[in-house]
Amino acid sequence: MLYVIGLGLSDETDISVKGLEAVKSCTRVYLEAYTSILMVDKGKLEAFYGKQVIVADREMVESESDKILEGAQEVNVAFLVVGDPYGATTHTDLVIRARELEIPVSVIHNASIMNAIGACGLQLYNFGQTISIVFFTETWRPDSFYERIKENRNLGLHTLCLLDIKVKEQSIENMARGRKIYEPPRYMTIQTAVEQLLEIEENRQENAYTPDTLAIGCARIGTATQQIVSGTLEELRHVDFGGPLHSLVLVGSRMHFLEAEFVKAYAVDKASFEKIAERDYHVKQ
Amino acid sequence: MDKVTNVRNMSVIAHVDHGKSTLTDSLVSKAGIISSARAGETRFTDTRQDEQDRCITIKSTAISMFFEMPKDDLPEIKQKTDGNEFLINLIDSPGHVDFSSEVTAALRVTDGALVVVDSVDGVCVQTETVLRQALTEKIKPVLIINKVDRALLELQVSKEDLYTSFQRTIESVNVIISTYLDKSMGDLQVYPEKGTVAFGSGLHGWAFTLRQFAERYSKKFGVDKEKMMGKLWGENYFNPATKKWTTKSSDANGRQLERAFNMFVLDPIFKLFDSIMNFKKEQTATMLEKLDIKLTSDEKDLEGKPLLKVVMRKFLPAGDALLEMICIHLPSPVTAQEYRVEQLYEGPMDDECAMGIRRCDPNAPLMLYVSKMVPTSDKGRFYAFGRVFSGTVRSGLKVRIQGPNYVPGKKEDLFIKSIQRTILMMGRYVESIEDCPAGNIVGLVGVDQFLVKSGTITTSDTAHNLKVMKFSVSPVVEVAVEVKNANDLPKLVEGLKRLSKSDPCVQCYTSPSGEHIVAGAGELHLEICLKDLEEDHAQVPIKIGEPVVQYRETVTAESSIDCLSKSPNKHNRIFMRAMPLDEELANEIEEGKVGPRDDFKTRARELADKYNWDVMEARKIWCFGPDTSGANLLVDTTKAVQYLNEIKDSCVAAFQWATKEGCLAEENMRGIRFNILDVTLHADAIHRGGGQIIPTARRVCYASVLTAEPAIQEPVYLVEIQVPDSAMGGIYGVLNRRRGHVFAEEQRPGTPMMNIKAYLPVNESFGFTAALRQDTGGQAFPQAVFDHWQLMSGSPLEPGNKVYDIIRAVRKRKGLVEDIPKLDNYYDKL
Repeated sequence: MLYVIGLGLSDETDISVKGLEAVKSCTRVYLEAYTSILMVDKGKLEAFYGKQVIVADREMVESESDKILEGAQEVNVAFLVVGDPYGATTHTDLVIRARELEIPVSVIHNASIMNAIGACGLQLYNFGQTISIVFFTETWRPDSFYERIKENRNLGLHTLCLLDIKVKEQSIENMARGRKIYEPPRYMTIQTAVEQLLEIEENRQENAYTPDTLAIGCARIGTATQQIVSGTLEELRHVDFGGPLHSLVLVGSRMHFLEAEFVKAYAVDKASFEKIAERDYHVKQ
Repeated sequence: MDKVTNVRNMSVIAHVDHGKSTLTDSLVSKAGIISSARAGETRFTDTRQDEQDRCITIKSTAISMFFEMPKDDLPEIKQKTDGNEFLINLIDSPGHVDFSSEVTAALRVTDGALVVVDSVDGVCVQTETVLRQALTEKIKPVLIINKVDRALLELQVSKEDLYTSFQRTIESVNVIISTYLDKSMGDLQVYPEKGTVAFGSGLHGWAFTLRQFAERYSKKFGVDKEKMMGKLWGENYFNPATKKWTTKSSDANGRQLERAFNMFVLDPIFKLFDSIMNFKKEQTATMLEKLDIKLTSDEKDLEGKPLLKVVMRKFLPAGDALLEMICIHLPSPVTAQEYRVEQLYEGPMDDECAMGIRRCDPNAPLMLYVSKMVPTSDKGRFYAFGRVFSGTVRSGLKVRIQGPNYVPGKKEDLFIKSIQRTILMMGRYVESIEDCPAGNIVGLVGVDQFLVKSGTITTSDTAHNLKVMKFSVSPVVEVAVEVKNANDLPKLVEGLKRLSKSDPCVQCYTSPSGEHIVAGAGELHLEICLKDLEEDHAQVPIKIGEPVVQYRETVTAESSIDCLSKSPNKHNRIFMRAMPLDEELANEIEEGKVGPRDDFKTRARELADKYNWDVMEARKIWCFGPDTSGANLLVDTTKAVQYLNEIKDSCVAAFQWATKEGCLAEENMRGIRFNILDVTLHADAIHRGGGQIIPTARRVCYASVLTAEPAIQEPVYLVEIQVPDSAMGGIYGVLNRRRGHVFAEEQRPGTPMMNIKAYLPVNESFGFTAALRQDTGGQAFPQAVFDHWQLMSGSPLEPGNKVYDIIRAVRKRKGLVEDIPKLDNYYDKL
């Protein structure tokens, strides 16, 4: 049996009871550690499970999945995913391979940023398509997310922006040389995301959003140090959110008055929040 | 130096052994740097010991000389001048093809070229190569036909034969020149009657142009000097009986008349040779008196050749003839830069730098091109040698040092540093100078560590680069080097760095298997480089491997299937096919006639007209590779694929990588067109980043090649051999044994010498010169220059042919698995 188990957002104790029991029944336990990160290290997990945990990096998951699945017809193998297995990162490929090998698969769910983002006060019903914002480079500045935001905004829906993380990436040169030398990990901050968003708006001038658009920055959701701040994009640009992981929500025009009241509590500047909410979002307080 | 109108920057170019360095001596002695008696033997510009020993020039050497022209001659100069003092910056360049890159570097910093041609050998392969190079750089040529003494003493030709031989040589030079018609430069062909052709002997130190004879005779005949020059060449005859000029070769009675050139120019020379060499003392004495040549008492005692030398040198001093030709006919920097600026500068023609260059303005922003590095006496340091095109360079000036990869507005390949010292290069000496204004050639101290081989130095923040030089030879022969004692390795690595700096063409790199490779243009070039490496740059004993050649990987058919590769996360798919590129198109790309910087619409039109491309497809060429300019193309032939432009960068990077290290043996690819047929991508940018797309695009390139009947190409030399016809048999024997074949064979008129042209695979060329000498009793002299890439028959994928074995050998040498990876390493099933 292959167990694909969500670990939740914060630390070792976020795993569900069912998940924990499954882990304990497994002969091998893999931890996927490149699409997201947990706030605790592998040692803590091992101590908690009483099992050895193998860290599976991108190469292992993508190129050597056979190794992970080896013998899973007979024994139990756990594949631990930060957040929810079918959340932001979909490990569908692994599941398809397991099916091909006729390995039974059981998925144990957990909280993901995709649902925990409700913590910011906006209702999950009112979210549109989720997008990712990647680190821009000198020559690579993909902006296809702009269309998605625009579609969401035209419908009045909120947009959840997931921010790029580069946990174990090779530079192009090292990739060409086949050297397994990795760049230091990088996590995009809300400040960077806002700057990139505004840069694209300035290039395109299609008014999908403006520096005055209301947004909510969320850092380390689901952990003890979680931080939520709301305000205009321009205001958020100057807020320090501390360590990773960061996410950003662009507020849609159909903001419900209850949503507005909840979000206002996080505002950088409450008066300006009220003013803009009334002017641009038709929310009467 | 400050009067730029009186500066002449010139290079001396020719085929090997036609006497460039020897001729240069005449000028050096005229400037008083060496004594006139030793001119012709010193080879002042051959500064290296091995150059002196081997009697060939290896490195180009610059020398600055100062002259005064006779005031009477000044009106002849048809461009702006200021006084009668001239500064000539002369660069003596090597003639052996292996060192062509030195010539390129020399041409870049000069405006005029003295083309030297041996009167007996005529125009040879290297004469043509360097002349073409000069013309592409917009360098104005003047010609000297050298070694006339050989024709007179060894071959004993008649006057009329000599005239026809001169005429033939001039014609072959003009044929080459006429293909480079450029309105902005005017007529570039050379004419004896205009004074742009000289005749002489570097070894004996004499030379003349028709101008000098015209001067003598114009008084006598009372004809204008210019008119007289016209009369002294071509179909002009003088009838001594009637004392009339005519253009017919016979008089009214049908009697043969003597050509004016023969009568007035060659006759005195022939007579002098005859009387001195045949010891007719009295006749000599009268002639000397007539020609107003005064000998010292010591010299009067000489006879035979030594006397001939002294007399000819006094009669027709080579220095004077050359100097006059250079000052009158070669352009000053001011004249030349006006038409050269477009050829030189990459940026817009109306920015401050372009204006500065066009006007050769010493007060404009500095624009200086470093064309090569010259080793200093201080081991490991180099003078950066180059030309100031605009502004003034001085010691302590803070400048921007822009390498060849610098892009305006970016910070890569850019350093901001101060010039430590500026110097003047004087052959084997240097001289410090305060500053150096536009139009001059200069050496810089303190910038060598910031440039690899060449680059642009400027003071303008917005300056684009001066164009990178295009070399006519490529490093196709390489060897592996290693140290004898393991402890010396760091010294070798440092030495390789220095070697790479000191030569414009050599390439030094480390192979993936850790070998240190040195690549050069030919056997001789490599030999010299390795000697320098061992003795100067590394100074440790080294072991040298067998020389090997580079191959190119190509395809001979279109891929048999649509190749598919999936990204590691399986969310992205790329479909591609490879097909061969027209050989001619590949050549045009390599010559830079078709390239990434062309306007894409004009390029598309050209590809459609010339090579039957679909215009729409031709507009969607994503890039050239390897190194963004090679002869492989990546073409987008997809229809309406979403997000395609967001993965373009990754595809381009992968294509550069794949074409640099092909799938057969990690050699460069060549002549392949890759068509991207279709792409399906994950909707979210994070799942289609470089990490996902680059390996995928690379794999699909490889799969496309493996399914398109891959093959390899080997480099082939064009060999020109001069040999007496009696020794011809030996040549055919040697060539046959080495897979070479002769494609042209002609006899030099009036000599027993044969000129043979043949193709010879570079791989078979090692030891070729030695073998040839042996089989022809040392009578054959080959010159080999890289000519083209030739497809080798045989599949690298199936055992039992030569290509298969070659690939395996290359892979083994590079430390790869000997088998070529199978298709399913690259091809994914749907």
